[in-house]
Amino acid sequence: MQHETHSHGIDIAALGRDKQNLRLAEETVAIEVPGLNLFYGDKQALHGVSMNIPKQRVTAFIGPSGCGKSTLLRCFNRMNDLVDGCRVDGEINLDGRNIYRKGEDVAELRRRVGMVFQKPNPFPKSIYENVVYGLRIQGINKKRVLDEAVEWALKGAALWDEVKDRLHESALGLSGGQQQRLVIARTIAVEPEVLLLDEPCSALDPISTLKVEELIYELKSKYTIVIVTHNMQQAARVSDYTAFMYMGKLIEFGDTDTLFTNPAKKQTEDYITGRYG
Amino acid sequence: MIDKDSLTHHISQQFNAELEEVRSHLLAMGGLVEKQVNDAVTALIDADSGLAQQVREIDDQINQMERNIDEECVRILARRQPAASDLRLIISVSKSVIDLERIGDEASKIARRAIQLCEEGESPRGYVEVRHIGDQVRRMVQEALDAFARFDADLALSVAQYDKTVDREYKTALRELVTYMMEDPRSISRVLNVIWVLRSLERIGDHARNIAELVIYLVRGTDVRHMGLARMQEEVQGKE
Amino acid sequence: MKKDSLKTWFKSGSPWVWLNGGAVSIAIIMTLGLLALIAVRGLGHFWPANIIEGTYQIPGEPAKTLAGEVVQAEEVPRARLAATGLPVNVEGGEFMTRELLKVGNREIFGADFSWVIGEWLSDVRRPAELMAIERREWGNFYGYLVNVKESGQVVAEGEGAWDEFQKRIERVDLLHTQIERLEKKDIGRINAGLERLRLKTRKLELQGRLDAVAQAELDAERAELDAEYKVLESQLSDLHQQFQRDSVTVKVSDGREIELNMGKVVRAFRPNAMSMLQKFGFYFGKLWEFVSDDPREANTEGGIFPAIFGTVMMVLLMAVLVTPFGVIAAVYLREYARQGPLTRVIRIAVNNLAGVPSIVYGVFGLGFFVYVLGGSLDRLFFPEAAPAPTFGTPGLMWASLTLAILTLPVVIVATEEGLARIPRAVREGSLALGATKIETLWNVVIPMASPAMMTGLILAVARAAGEVAPLMLVGVVKLAPSLPLDGNYPYLHLDQKIMHLGFHIYDVGFQSPNVEAARPLVYATALLLVVVIALLNFSAVYMRNHLREKYKALDH
Repeated sequence: MQHETHSHGIDIAALGRDKQNLRLAEETVAIEVPGLNLFYGDKQALHGVSMNIPKQRVTAFIGPSGCGKSTLLRCFNRMNDLVDGCRVDGEINLDGRNIYRKGEDVAELRRRVGMVFQKPNPFPKSIYENVVYGLRIQGINKKRVLDEAVEWALKGAALWDEVKDRLHESALGLSGGQQQRLVIARTIAVEPEVLLLDEPCSALDPISTLKVEELIYELKSKYTIVIVTHNMQQAARVSDYTAFMYMGKLIEFGDTDTLFTNPAKKQTEDYITGRYG
Repeated sequence: MIDKDSLTHHISQQFNAELEEVRSHLLAMGGLVEKQVNDAVTALIDADSGLAQQVREIDDQINQMERNIDEECVRILARRQPAASDLRLIISVSKSVIDLERIGDEASKIARRAIQLCEEGESPRGYVEVRHIGDQVRRMVQEALDAFARFDADLALSVAQYDKTVDREYKTALRELVTYMMEDPRSISRVLNVIWVLRSLERIGDHARNIAELVIYLVRGTDVRHMGLARMQEEVQGKE
Repeated sequence: MKKDSLKTWFKSGSPWVWLNGGAVSIAIIMTLGLLALIAVRGLGHFWPANIIEGTYQIPGEPAKTLAGEVVQAEEVPRARLAATGLPVNVEGGEFMTRELLKVGNREIFGADFSWVIGEWLSDVRRPAELMAIERREWGNFYGYLVNVKESGQVVAEGEGAWDEFQKRIERVDLLHTQIERLEKKDIGRINAGLERLRLKTRKLELQGRLDAVAQAELDAERAELDAEYKVLESQLSDLHQQFQRDSVTVKVSDGREIELNMGKVVRAFRPNAMSMLQKFGFYFGKLWEFVSDDPREANTEGGIFPAIFGTVMMVLLMAVLVTPFGVIAAVYLREYARQGPLTRVIRIAVNNLAGVPSIVYGVFGLGFFVYVLGGSLDRLFFPEAAPAPTFGTPGLMWASLTLAILTLPVVIVATEEGLARIPRAVREGSLALGATKIETLWNVVIPMASPAMMTGLILAVARAAGEVAPLMLVGVVKLAPSLPLDGNYPYLHLDQKIMHLGFHIYDVGFQSPNVEAARPLVYATALLLVVVIALLNFSAVYMRNHLREKYKALDH
């Protein structure tokens, strides 16, 4: 769509068309999945998933329970390694390097690929200690550096104003929404490249949910964000691209506007409109 | 992409019912509007001022229906947050309703002219054109609604295409009527009334085309407005 | 109809509510009853009971005057009394009252207690002047104060004597404290120093490095200590002389006058003349003495402080030992070991260990810790002390270690339970930040499991503090010469034997030469044992609740 500027200075094209005119094929790739199979014991949980997660965009995974969206998400920081009997067949390239190659430093990978979980899981420590946890793990103990990181991360997570006067109080005293934003602050404090959000709002009330969504919107200029959600409206609200998965397969992956107004596949249509197949 | 069945396959039965209801209300309104057009044209040709009066009275009902259907659409949007085809259905309904109401207005205008022409006495000039274009326009409205009812993009496409023909015939009729007026200046005011009627019919045709385009959007998910018939046809038939 | 109503009654569940309520009430009543019994029996002992005096006339024998405290009274069938050879008139009724009188004055009467038949005791009175003297040995003495002497010269007589007597008791008390301090602290330090020198000499000798220079050095040091000792010794004998200076003459109820050295007197009091307030004051004084003083007279008199101290010390040491062991074992089992048949077997074994009778642990402790471990330690590190064992003999460390082994299963099971309850999400949260498994365990999981570990420890302490049987084998004695914690290097003497409340009860109750006198102490000590265990437990519970509070929000 070409922009026509009229004499009265109004950009008609910008008015008419959505501000995001996204083309998946034109995006820079952050995570490349060239064809991934995953097995839990004998059961195959992911069937030949291949997709390219675009850089500095929000990609949402939607699909019914057990469709493998969380499993796929957890492949990106190798969280599945913790599950007994989980076997991954295929590769995932993060910035062109296979994270499943031999000798990959998993701790380092997880620092680069941060993850936020379904239920807010702050550590039973002070707010401050929660934020600097990842840094301390890396051996950073200089107070000045940590102080700066705390302020920066909490501001980044839009929590600074709410907690700046009680940084040394227990994080467990925060509300659910604040806890989740604290977890996000904790995750971005180690400056990851990718942020994985596994149903980050499922345990939150609607207002807290909106705050977290707002935060996601702000964070996407810096991070590649992948979010798994059961809430389709949420996927529609926050994401640039949406992937629909079903029974361990990637059914449809495209820009969110199209997927939610005019999906290409009937399964997607049925799922997002709430029909039975 | 979407067919009539898909309205009844939601997990929520209530949602099924709501969508079905709003659609049937739209079709009912469409049926009434279609009858209005028919009656207005008949009243004019038969110089039946009683029928014309009736058409004008029924217009209020149509306005009321528009309000009701709009309300239903807003309610569904607010409460169900429909997506994909459901969203397109609601959007199409809420837009079609505007066009239907306008068609109703035009029918009412035709009825007013019919009453005036009745008062001025018999003059068959121009009625042939009115009858002819009126028939075509009525069929367009009917088919547009039919396409809506059956989620038939092809039928909708043919309605849109037909609008071109109506426009052409309207222009021909205009030229002919201008000739009448030049021949017989005394008939100017009467012929002008006939021209107004034709103009209304032509507008009705445009609205029918709008509805047809909305049907294509509903069924195919592509916005075909202001596109040109050739591309429209491509969009509709290319995506089987 | 009736059957129906019964059926509905059963259905309503109220029978079970009643059953449960009943069971709970019985449990509460039994617990409270137990506590009340030992409290009443034990605490009553310290009350300054009135002393009665009366004329006791056994039919056919000359009358004598008796003075003492009534400890107990019972109804006894006449026939039984007659059977013991007493000249009881069998006709007088079925029962006779028999009273147990604590008459004291053991050196005169031969026994502290005497049974008297109530009927034959006449002219019972409570003279205000009648006094009880608590002595450092030979038990109580009852009588009338005649005079107070200083170095054999009478200094007070009659009315003024009592005040003078009290004043001099205070002086003696002060002297006694001084002597005690001199003996225990200063001379104890010198003795420890001499012993150290002896060991050093022996060590050098064993290593073949005892040359003339070293010998001279050691001799010099020894001479220094000896000189110090000489000074202290003269001080001590001086004090002893002072201590023995005064004496009192006391008239016993039968008219004899006895001279008592003041050095033997702990306190003297006239219970019959005491007001209620004074009695209370006296009572709490005695109670304080009981918990804070050393025992006297084969543990039947004085306090039980060393036993309390020993118990607490041993339990704390046990806690210090068992916690790291148990926690490490549990962490390994839960977090690192591959879950399979082997870990299952280990778990079952651990659980079964908790059911092994404690005496078995005692035997194990003696056989393994004391003889094998202790013996090896002695050979390796303390060859100079041989043949006297250092660690190769029962002692505090082995007692604590044995208890630690005994309570290990509890700690392991509780800790494992706690680890299992830590939400997966929290571990994942830590791992997702780039922490390794050990970092996650150390920084997040173990702190969060700490309340559960405390629970394990509470159970362990509860069990360990009450354990007696194994301790008798591995380090608890009836009378320890000194506390395991003092001012002499190395301050905490892990090799020393200790006293223990539980064993103290056993010892006082069954091994005492004076069973009647000791019985109240058994109850009092039992009460104290319960109190000590309760305090240990409460402090642990307090700590656990504090931790729980800290980590509570994650429990949802």
